[in-house]
Amino acid sequence: MESCIISEIRKKKGDKVTKGEILFIYETDKATFEEEAPANGILLDFFFSEGDEVPVFTNVCVIGSEGESAEEFRPGSDSVKQDSVNETAKPESVMTEAETGISSGSPFSSDIPAGINSPASPRARMIADKSGDSLSGLKGTGPGGRIIERDVRSAGGRVKHTPLARKLIRENPSLHANSGTGLAGSVRGLDLILDQQPGAEEFRIKPLTNMRKLIAKAMYGSLQNSAQLTHHLGADARRITELRRKVKKAMESGSSSDITLNDMICFGTIKALKEYPQVNAHFMGDSMKYFSGVHLAVAVDTDRGLMVPVVRNADALSITELSANIKELVSACRKGSIDPDLLSAEAASFTVSNLGSYGVEIFTPVINLPQVAILGVNTIVLRPKDLGEGIIGFVPYLGLSLTYDHRAIDGGEATRFLKRIATEIENLEF
Amino acid sequence: MKTWNFRFENEILRNKNIYMENKFDLAILGGGPAGYVAAERAGDRGLKVVLFEKSDIGGICLNEGCIPTKTLLYSAKLYHNALNAGRYGVSAEGITFDFQKMMARKNKVVKKLVLGVAAKMKQNNVLVVKGEAYIENRTANGIRIRVDETEFLAVNLLICTGSETFVPKIPGLEASGDIILTSREALTLSEVPDSLIIIGGGVIGIEFASLFNSLGSKVMVIEMLDEILPGMDRELTTMAREIFSKKGIEFNLSSQITRVNGNEAIFEKDGKSFSVKADKILVSVGRVPVTIGFGLENIGVELIRGGIKVNDRMRTNIPNVFAAGDVTGFSMLAHTASREGEVVVNNLTGGNDRMRYNAVPGVVYSNPEISGTGLTEEAAREKKIDYRVAKLPMTFAGRFIAENEGETGLCKVIVGARNQEVLGVHILGNPSSELIYGACMAIEAEMTLSELREIIFPHPTVSEILRETFFAF
Repeated sequence: MESCIISEIRKKKGDKVTKGEILFIYETDKATFEEEAPANGILLDFFFSEGDEVPVFTNVCVIGSEGESAEEFRPGSDSVKQDSVNETAKPESVMTEAETGISSGSPFSSDIPAGINSPASPRARMIADKSGDSLSGLKGTGPGGRIIERDVRSAGGRVKHTPLARKLIRENPSLHANSGTGLAGSVRGLDLILDQQPGAEEFRIKPLTNMRKLIAKAMYGSLQNSAQLTHHLGADARRITELRRKVKKAMESGSSSDITLNDMICFGTIKALKEYPQVNAHFMGDSMKYFSGVHLAVAVDTDRGLMVPVVRNADALSITELSANIKELVSACRKGSIDPDLLSAEAASFTVSNLGSYGVEIFTPVINLPQVAILGVNTIVLRPKDLGEGIIGFVPYLGLSLTYDHRAIDGGEATRFLKRIATEIENLEF
Repeated sequence: MKTWNFRFENEILRNKNIYMENKFDLAILGGGPAGYVAAERAGDRGLKVVLFEKSDIGGICLNEGCIPTKTLLYSAKLYHNALNAGRYGVSAEGITFDFQKMMARKNKVVKKLVLGVAAKMKQNNVLVVKGEAYIENRTANGIRIRVDETEFLAVNLLICTGSETFVPKIPGLEASGDIILTSREALTLSEVPDSLIIIGGGVIGIEFASLFNSLGSKVMVIEMLDEILPGMDRELTTMAREIFSKKGIEFNLSSQITRVNGNEAIFEKDGKSFSVKADKILVSVGRVPVTIGFGLENIGVELIRGGIKVNDRMRTNIPNVFAAGDVTGFSMLAHTASREGEVVVNNLTGGNDRMRYNAVPGVVYSNPEISGTGLTEEAAREKKIDYRVAKLPMTFAGRFIAENEGETGLCKVIVGARNQEVLGVHILGNPSSELIYGACMAIEAEMTLSELREIIFPHPTVSEILRETFFAF
């Protein structure tokens, strides 16, 4: 634990506070805590705003007498004084979390001194330091295996390390032992195991971005609120790989745009959707919404997360136009300039998610509700096929995974639709 | 501490089932160095212990192994030293020895020690039952063990039934009768044989070779491998063999015994057949764990390579059943056995103890003695350990020169190349058996050369050779 987020500020600069009043509320990974004023006085300054991520042991605000300066407590100033509790004459700084032990579930470790390898609470360290004990070799029972006070106390004193073990730890502080197997339980060289880097944080808490929150909500909602399952089926990919070869050749002479396999698959899917309107639909709970046009969404992997922009009225487009449209949307998504309206699940009637270029052989895409189905496109693999006249040969085979909402579509329909996509792909023309 | 007062007389056993009422915490099968040490420790910690021994308490070690041989070897050494006293400016004439008196003294020493062990058992409230124990079965209530008509019930069982001499199937061996000896018979001889063939150049073979060589026998050792004392550091064993050769022991290495006809032994070496004769032929090719005849199969204990399979806490595959000592078949040393027995008791009494074998000392009590602990150079090479070696002649220790006129020896220390922790120490020369434990401590404590160089050794002692060698890196 390195930091927490100030989620709500209750007192502002200049407010009069009395001991016990809530100054601000902060969040850790585990819970939300209220920080009470440790003394009466005037809130001289508040160094952070709501939503700020504050490293532990950083002054957040200062309580003092009217007219006093809080500057010396400002984080980053040269002479930052910390925790002057009990010195009533001086302004009190309120820090984000001192030692809270295990009850809060967040024994914060601040600055792990170099050379000490185990993640441990400051209190555990203090106790260990006082008794001259080594924390290495202690098994932590705190959150995330962190060594806490009770671990140090229950160890009942120093865990002996052999000279070799000590030497090895000196040379590589990221070594530690969970238990000793040497003389009287001493830690031997053999017992040492490599831990995470010294000083490396065990974990880090970062609030979700809005986009992540949206994805989380949509995906979780989809799995919670629909009856989805996936059928896997494949298409002979000889036709589209041949088309792709031709496109590449034509591109050399400048007579074609870059129509990708994905463009072709989307094109075939649109054709199939025209034949199966019950899939080009939204499930509305007590009704179905069938679309006249095909509004095809494509899943795009971006630095900020998954985006699913839609090509409106895709069935009206030639493959070249479709290809150009998709490219533009992908680029807009990656640049962050996409029109938010085009990202709405309601704006699309069907989605294609292509993981084939990553080598995925089979997956179960999650439906973008209220759409009723999503097509997952897998990588092309070689598969034996009866080519007739007693010849069995290897042909390129494209795996297709259709997840559908069984509330809206039955298995037979879904299968026929999926088969239709395969047929379109196998006989694609443009 | 809870104690039980038992009467040790065997009459008590006549009252059948008396012990069924009193369940034992620990039953121990075999009163050797594993069994009696475990019994002593367990009794001391308040466990209710019963120890079964079919023969004499103390086991092979005390009765037919370590102690009797060392007693005789000391007599032989005195004789040898008297013969060579001239080297030290002492003249003695008409030096003789009385083998029967030596044997009588050996018996006295053994008896004294056996009584000592028995006293310790009593002191620690261990019930010692003399008789052949048989494991009946394992019930929800405990493990049932029977001796004749009496049944015992115990929560835990420690099996330390030891080992016995392995007598190979050599044609003509059995028919050769009294001429053939094992270590047991060799310790009950009434006179020193004029000549002796020893089949097997391991620790037992070499100690007897040294003993009878010192007492004037013409000794020949026939060893199958290409060097004597396998498992010990080869540089030292080669050197020791040369010293023994100078003293008159003849060695035939890489030799396979093919037949024994009375006092004639026929062996093959380099594809040729040789015939040698001697008054007695001692067979010492090894020992095998004793795992049959006491109902081990009734509780389904798993074996491995002839011995009882155990983990590093000496647990067998069966809950509450432990094994220690030679019966596990791998270390075959009395001191290993004792420590293994202690590991069992430590774990039974709430401790967390594991058996470690990386610093078990091994000593050959020949004259001169050969002692080693930890890794040999061969083992380090085989394990692909990056190591460094330093070695010094024993004559680098002043005391050695003072007391070993005309003798030589070697001290060899092996450390890890990177961290300089001691991995192995091997010493040829007297009295290395008395100082090797220091090396065991260094290895167990994982001391590195920098700590060891700060240790003060008494001057002048032979042990200083270790210190010298630590500085020779």
